[in-house]
Parts: sequence; C-alpha cells; structure tokens
Amino acid sequence: MDIIVCVKRVPDTAGATIEIADDARRIREDGLVFDMNDCDKYAVEEAVGLKKKYGGSVTAIALGTEDVEDILRMCFVTGCDEGIRLTDKAFQGSDAVTIARILHRLIQSMKFDLILTGAQATDDGYGQVGSALAELMGISHATLVIGIEILDGKARVHRELEGGMEEVVEIRLPAVLTIQTGINIPRYVSIRALMKVAQKEIKVLDLKGLGMREEEVGESGSNTSIERLFLPPLTKEMEILPSDPGEAATRVVKILKDKGGLV
Amino acid sequence: MGRIFVLIEHRKGAIRDITWEMLIKGRELALRSGGELTALLLGYQIRNLAEKLVQRADEVLVVEDEKLSNFNGEIYQRVLSKLISEYKPALTLIGHTSFGMELAGQLELPITTDCIDLCLENGALKAVRQMYTGKVNAEISFIGAPSYIVTVRPDVFPAEGQQTGRGEIKYLSLPIEEIKYKKFIEYIEPAVGEVDITRADILVSVGQGIGDKKNISMIAELSELMGGVLACSRPIVDKKWLPKERQVGLSGKTVKPKLYLAIGISGAFQHISQIKGGHIIAINKDPRAPIFGVADYGIVEDLFKIVPVLTSKLKEIKAG
Amino acid sequence: MDGEQSLTEKYELFGCIQCGRCSAGCPISLNSALNIRKLIREVTVHQVLEPIYEQGELWDCTTCSICSLRCPRGLKPHEVLISIRSILAEEGNVPATVRDALEETFKHGNPYGQIRSKRFEWATDLKIKNFSQGDRAEILYFVGCAPSYDPRLQEVSRALVKTFTQAEVNFGILGNEENCCGNEIRRMGEEGLFEMLRADNIKLFHNHEIRHIVTTSSHCYNTFKNEYKDDSFKAEHYTIFVAELIQKGKLSFSKEIKKVVTYQDPCFLGKQNGVYEEPRFILRSIPGITFVDFERCRERSLCCEGGGGRMWIDASDSGQRLGEVRIREAIALGAEIIATACPFCLLNLEDAVTTIGLADKIQVRDIIELVAEAI
Repeated sequence: MDIIVCVKRVPDTAGATIEIADDARRIREDGLVFDMNDCDKYAVEEAVGLKKKYGGSVTAIALGTEDVEDILRMCFVTGCDEGIRLTDKAFQGSDAVTIARILHRLIQSMKFDLILTGAQATDDGYGQVGSALAELMGISHATLVIGIEILDGKARVHRELEGGMEEVVEIRLPAVLTIQTGINIPRYVSIRALMKVAQKEIKVLDLKGLGMREEEVGESGSNTSIERLFLPPLTKEMEILPSDPGEAATRVVKILKDKGGLV
Repeated sequence: MGRIFVLIEHRKGAIRDITWEMLIKGRELALRSGGELTALLLGYQIRNLAEKLVQRADEVLVVEDEKLSNFNGEIYQRVLSKLISEYKPALTLIGHTSFGMELAGQLELPITTDCIDLCLENGALKAVRQMYTGKVNAEISFIGAPSYIVTVRPDVFPAEGQQTGRGEIKYLSLPIEEIKYKKFIEYIEPAVGEVDITRADILVSVGQGIGDKKNISMIAELSELMGGVLACSRPIVDKKWLPKERQVGLSGKTVKPKLYLAIGISGAFQHISQIKGGHIIAINKDPRAPIFGVADYGIVEDLFKIVPVLTSKLKEIKAG
Repeated sequence: MDGEQSLTEKYELFGCIQCGRCSAGCPISLNSALNIRKLIREVTVHQVLEPIYEQGELWDCTTCSICSLRCPRGLKPHEVLISIRSILAEEGNVPATVRDALEETFKHGNPYGQIRSKRFEWATDLKIKNFSQGDRAEILYFVGCAPSYDPRLQEVSRALVKTFTQAEVNFGILGNEENCCGNEIRRMGEEGLFEMLRADNIKLFHNHEIRHIVTTSSHCYNTFKNEYKDDSFKAEHYTIFVAELIQKGKLSFSKEIKKVVTYQDPCFLGKQNGVYEEPRFILRSIPGITFVDFERCRERSLCCEGGGGRMWIDASDSGQRLGEVRIREAIALGAEIIATACPFCLLNLEDAVTTIGLADKIQVRDIIELVAEAI
C-alpha cells in the first residue's frame, strides 16, 4: 500500500493564553510552543501501521518554512519513508481549498492507494483540506475516520458520528480519509531517534517547482480570507467566585445546596 | 434573488437539532436579503419529515430516491450541486457536523466552515468562525460570488423562533447516478456501559487540566461527596483514563444536569455545546479559557488548590 | 538491536553470581512481577532480547538503586534496567503516560505540561533575585518542576525562600528559564532528551555564572552532582546547605515544634548519595522536636515508589503501596509528623495518608517547612 499523509505544524494552545498581533490578522507566536497537529499524529501512526501490515511506503507532506521539517522528521521516526516540504512566501494567506490545490499539484503526479490527513487542525479548524483534496483528485473520501480495514481494492471505514454512534462505509481505493483522534495510540518520538534521521533528505518544492503561479495561491488565489481576528466576547454573565480556596469552597457548597442539593 | 437554502440534516428518521437552528438563522438572512427560505430534504420515505418543515420554510424541496436512503456524501453532493445550479440561491447553509463535513470539500462555490455568525448584505457574505480551539474569533470575507456555501456550528443559533413559513412542498424527481465507489454499510450504536451520565443531576467533569491519570481519583472522590457522577471531556477518553461512556461532548453524550462542575476543562465547543441547561461552575487556571464564556460561576485558580479544600469542606459537612 | 556494546559487555554481567541479594532487597518485588536477579540472568543468557523488552514490569522499577548497593560483585542491575528502558524509549516503545511526560518536557521544560511562562508564578509576590532578569547572586536556588507547579509543593519552595531570606543568603532563581533537571527523564529511558536538558542547563548555568546550586529536590541534586559532570558549579541538596547555616549560627529558631517526628530518608538523597546526617541534624536542632528514627532507616529506608519515572507510570504492581506501609510504620513509632526531604516522597506519603484516612493521626511535612515554622 502506498500511502500519503499530510501533516501540519501548529501552536500548542492548551493552557496558553493567546494574544492577537497588532495587525489583527494573525496571533502572536512568541512564547508559543509548536507541535504536530493532534489528529495528524494519529494519521501518521495509522499510515505506518497500515504499511507494516500490508507493505508499501508512506510519504509525509507538509507546508511551511524550515521549522516544519521538525514535524517531517517526527514522521520519519514513526516510520514514514519520504518527506516533502512545500514552501513559498506566496502561500501565505491561503485558505483551506487553496492549501488543497497546492497539495493536489504535488500529489497528482504521485502513485498512491490512500491519502490520510487529520480531520481538522487545532489552529484554523477548517476541517476541509482532506475532502477538498479528494474533490480535486476526483476520488472518494470519508471524514472523521476512527477505524480502517483494507479489503481488496476497497477500504471499510468507521466514521465517528455524534453521540458515540458510528457509521460504517465502504469506499473504493484510492481514497482520502481524514483521521479523528482516538483511532490508535501514537508512539513516542525520541530525541535519539530524531537525531538519527536529522540528515535524511527532505525534498523541498516551491511555487515554481510545483508549476503554480502566484495568482493561484495565497490570498489572491483564495475565495475566502481572514479580515481580522478578535478575542471572543464573554457573552454570558458569569459570576466570578473568589480565588481563595476556602472562600471558593464555601460558595460552591452554597451553590450546590441551592441548585442541585447535597446527598 | 436572495434565496437561502438550508440542507436538512436527518438521521434514522429524525430531524437533527442543527436543522432547526439553521432554519431560524436562514429566515433572518432571508428577510434581510428579501428572498425565500428553502429547505432541501434529500432521502427516502421522508414525507413525514417534509411535513414537519412546512412551518419553518417558504418552500420544501424534496428529492426522494432509494439511493438516498442512507446518507452518502458523494450522492448528496451531486444532488445539492444540481439544485444550487438550478435554483441559484444566494447562500446555502449546511450543519458543521459529521454529515456536513462530508460535503465541505465542494469546489464550485466559495465556502467556509464552522461559522458562528453570518451576515449577508447586498449579496456580500461575511462570516465569523473560531480558531485556536475557541480562543480566537475570525471574521471571514469572501470573494464576490453569486452564491456561497457555509457550514454552521451546532448549538450557536437558537432553535426557537417565529414560525413564518409558507410551506409549499415540492417533490422533485432528479436522476440520481448510482455511486458505486462509496457505499453505506451500517450504523453501530454506542455500547451501553455501566454508567449513564445523561441521567445525572450533578456532574463533576474533568478535563486535560487534571494532568495525570492518578489525579482523577481526587475528582472521583469529590464527585461522590457531591452526590454526583464523574464525567469527562474527550482528551481524557482518548488517553484511556476514563471510559467513553463518561464523555460529554459531540462524539460522546449530551447531558442535562442541574449542576455541572467543570474542572480543568478548557471549554472546547464540542464539549460545552453538549451541556444543555443547568448551571455550570468552572474551575480553570486560564482566565481566558472558553469555558468561562458559558459558565454561570467561574473560579480562576489552579484546580489543585481548589479541589482539596472543597473536598475537605464537603467531608466536614458530611461528618458533622 | 543493541548495536555497539551489548548490555552484557557494558555492565560486565558475566560477573553476576545470581546470589539474589539484589531482588531480595528490591522494595517492589513483593507487589510486582519484576525480578531483577532474573532479569540480569535473562539479559546475560539470551541473544535475542526482544521478549525481555515486552515485560510490562520493567516500568515498575523506581530506580531506588538498592539492588546495586547490595550487589557483592559491584554490578549495577538498576542501570541495566535503565539501559533497557532507553532502548525501548529510543524506538518510542514507552507507556502512553511516559510518552506524554517526555513530550511535555521537550515542549514546555517540565513533565507536567504546564506552561513555561507560569513556572515562576508561585513566587510573584516574593522579592527574589531572578537570574533570567539579569540579577546576580552567589547561590542558585534550583526550584525544580514539581515544587514550581504543584500547589502543595509550592509551600515547600516558599518555606525555603523564607529560610534563605531569614539567613540572609545571597540567592536567586532562574524564573521561567528554569528547565527540568532531567533526572527522571533519564530514568524513563529518554537518554537523548536527558542529554539535551543537561546541555541546555549547563549552558544556562555558565551564562549566568552560576557556581553554587542548592536544590529543593533530592532528584535534581542527584543528577546535578553525579550525572552532569561539570566542574564549574557545585550542587548541594538544601539539607546540606541549611545544616551548615545552622552550624554557622546564620539561622536560629525562636519557636518550638512540640511533636514526635520521624524522617523518611529519600532514596536519591540517602542511599544514592550518602546524605544521612544533615537532615537529622536539622530536625534535632529545631526546639521541641522529639526525633525518632524508623527501624528501616538510612540505607535501608523504604522507597516511596516515586522515583524512576513512577510518578508518571500506571504501575502494573498491585497490593499495598509502599507509602502506606511507611505511614503505618510511622504511626507505630508514635510519630505525629513524618518529615522528608524530597517532593516525591512528600506527595506519595501524603497520598497514602489520605488513602488510609489517617490525616488526623499523622502529618507529612518537608523538613524545610518545619524549619520555616520554627525560625
């Protein structure tokens, strides 16, 4: 099975307080720590697992500056065979569909049975790149995948629906599957293992290398763009309880008695 | 001119809540744009569902075919595309759900996803959506186009509102291609576990802020003292620290407790949207955690400072 | 799989006579399937080590080192186990909770996944010199990850600051620049990450011209002293430093603590580094304290099950936690307070007190908390 997995480098926002940059079109990145997008970690682990089972190869692709190569090296450690980085200043401001076009331009000349992407990214959260890529390629796709079984020329795939329900679909390969968290247990990528793949070649392609024009990418190539970013307003009247643990506890107990009762 | 399409989401014979929300918002947009609100209902043996929609829309277009009997993104997309090119709506609303995400890959029209607000003025669309796990809002502008598609976040727009539909039902017969390469097989219902958090009056819910599996016992103890049931957010289940039956969230359970104590939960929309009604008390170190946007009471402090004191206070009360 | 030197060669395992003194002294052997004597034999005898690597009980070891201390041939069984963990860690084959602790340490400088910018929050209201802000001082007080972020342990850090301030010690902290020392990281097998932390920390110490480090934790002390191998600075556990302050008359006590107090020798302070007298000296110097030793004290002190990455491991052992055994021993001694000098001992012993429900009978305190109370 030849598999392509698309990965993204995103800021780790859990616990961090996000500040908006002065131009209000991006966030301030100083002090933020970056990592591979959560869903993508599961996708990479799944791709490598399928390779181990069925043989073949896995190619990881990412868009971005040199920093992004850290993520591709994590893919190598997990078991991906090739890594490709697509980079160009002109890509800035690309929306999800445009990102899919960029990926498509590269992938259309590649041989593959399966393309895996994360179901959505924790930075922009569009959840569109995988399905748009499938449209561009003229192949089938399934989103929010939590289980994959490969049959002859087909995949039987479990999709995660709301409320814990699952939908099982059968889809002909080649196809795009967008992967949801929880499908497997991603392994740890160790520093030593990363050092061992530090010199492994990552193919780098830019706009020209992909045979694309500036008008096709970035803000000018996109149908949508971010006008401005702003902090979500507190819509509900929230009562702030004291931070002092003793006082807070007293208040909580009172609320408990008033609203829910104590057993 | 100014027609608003709403793609009706239904599963196993029931219309899903997002549909009502989109119809209310759709009505508002239609009033502004001076157009009609049209509900699109695709499926098989769905006439009873069409009846339910008549008061909420000006027109209900029904495409009924055995090939549509179970949701199949490929077929739905083609039907939708045909309907859009024929009726030329200004905007099509689809739910940002496991249903809608299958359709979000369409390339014909400008589209953005997971919108929490929409504004259609003189044919120009502006949308608001969230980024960075709910910590930032983004205003999205679109290239000028005669038609747009958006997916709409569930539980943002109200589901109740004026019922002002004319309600004409039109049954369309469209030739539906057989799609051989994507086939629905079956639904799998969630396994019934030992615990049913949907029945609890008091839920004590733990999130990633708990840090370590070992610390969960501290929350379990608190939950017991409060006479509540232990619940959690998705990351806790992904890490296999608690079983899925305790998960509150879109991919877990929807709950309606009287009191919901959210401990170390940041408040990702997928989680908080499934807490319907009741009072929420949130404990989180981060003053900007999205949970504080929906909580009734907030304690901005380290949960490890608050929980032990709360626990001993409850023990005192129980003892004396 | 082993590449360069085999484990047998590196640790001279042919010298093992299988006497079993190691496993007989192993504190977790009663509750865990781990048998260190057997492990050494398996490593020595088998060419293919993969089946050994599959053993889940490898992650029960607390690296207390009693096995190595007891070995009559001077072999280091616990280091062999750590080496096996490092083989597993290199290929990513670690328990998921260990994976998370390691990833968090790489990203945020601590295994708790807490944000670096909040590391120093516990001290914002205290006036402490901060090397990262350009201050200079004679001593670096190296706080450590747990004592920075854990609310219970923050009380220990504050007690240390109060003590140093009273004694007019010229000290400073690293603030948000402080990183994990790496002691537990190494013992969880992540050699590469340990080496990275070590290099970064040494560079930080050099940049700030730090010559003398005093730590809250026995674990940080152990790795700085024995594994950092850098001559430019001296590392001491606070008990050594504070004992000296008392001896030199820089610290005097004005209040009494009229309690019966026993002392839990932390593995990383006691049996691994031979620091037994200083903690006892401090406790005996506090007026009012009646000091009583455990029967199993000093080298024979019972491990609390906190080392070797155990704070992040869902151990496979069952049965009574060693912390509970220790608490019961303390109560049997008539102790009202069990004092210790290590954050993990403190947390594990307090956990045990809560689990058994004896909070009204016995308290767990760090020595420095008692000092701060009495000065």
